[in-house]
Amino acid sequence: MSIIAKVIAQSDRADRFPGSAELTQLQDYFNNSSARISAVQKLAANQQKIVDEGSQRFWAQCPNTPSNRGDAQKTALCQRDQGWYIRLVSYCVLAGNAKPLEDIGLDGMRDMYVSLGVPLANLKIAMGCLKSVALGLLSSEEAALAGPYFDQLVRAF
Amino acid sequence: MQDTVTAIINPADEKGNYVEGEALDKLKQYFQTGAVRVKAATQIGSSAANIVSDTVAKSLLYGDITLPGGNMYPTRRYAACLRDLTYFLRYATYAMLAADASILDERILSGLKDTYASLGVPIEPTIQALQAMKDVVTQRVGTEAGQEMDVYIDHIITGLG
Repeated sequence: MSIIAKVIAQSDRADRFPGSAELTQLQDYFNNSSARISAVQKLAANQQKIVDEGSQRFWAQCPNTPSNRGDAQKTALCQRDQGWYIRLVSYCVLAGNAKPLEDIGLDGMRDMYVSLGVPLANLKIAMGCLKSVALGLLSSEEAALAGPYFDQLVRAF
Repeated sequence: MQDTVTAIINPADEKGNYVEGEALDKLKQYFQTGAVRVKAATQIGSSAANIVSDTVAKSLLYGDITLPGGNMYPTRRYAACLRDLTYFLRYATYAMLAADASILDERILSGLKDTYASLGVPIEPTIQALQAMKDVVTQRVGTEAGQEMDVYIDHIITGLG
């Protein structure tokens, strides 16, 4: 669900036209759409780099973790998931709200990683490392758009 | 409901892809029209009651439908007609903002013909009023936004026909 769908849904529930605060919110969303697009293009083009550098930073802080125990298959799987989270953040940047991340990647996430035996505390550090690498590649305007979704991701773990 | 942005993100996610290439171009086009859409929604929302009065004046007011025996008589039915036209205007505005007609199908058109048939609401004058609404809206919001509203008002007309 995008910010547009959200404004429509809440207006519909109240049987009214979108209010002026909501319309201002949409106007702001459209005003910085070119930064949204460029942020997403940079995240897409640099996903591998973000994951690789993020992993190095993560393992430096947290060496004893499933992705760093010499099992190449497990490392690949962990890094694949990290790449997916970058993609979900990119959807949020386009949508203007966190619903894509919440619906696709956070709902049920804890149960999944607990069942896989991946420590959530370690993942939290890993996500923080992805965030710092990713935001370093973005302009300040782009980083301001993507940052809150990375923050939400870190908080969720 | 669906909107243009969600309709582009969901299939990308199904494939595990970023939004790129054609899909990203489509999104860019939508973003470029965003300011026009928001402005039109602001104008329509702030003058909805006037748009509906003007629509009725242009289409139904001077016909037999408002006389005794007509479907906009007595006042209770006149008010119900105003209410429905306001619904149509509001949902067309939502669809125009989203650039996606699915909310019209879900919230307006689903079951509407049956409801109108059971209430004895005639379709022909409803369509006449919606045609008039297109002109009234375009006068208020200008040609560019008016054409976009036409798409969704026409969608309601097609659904009723």
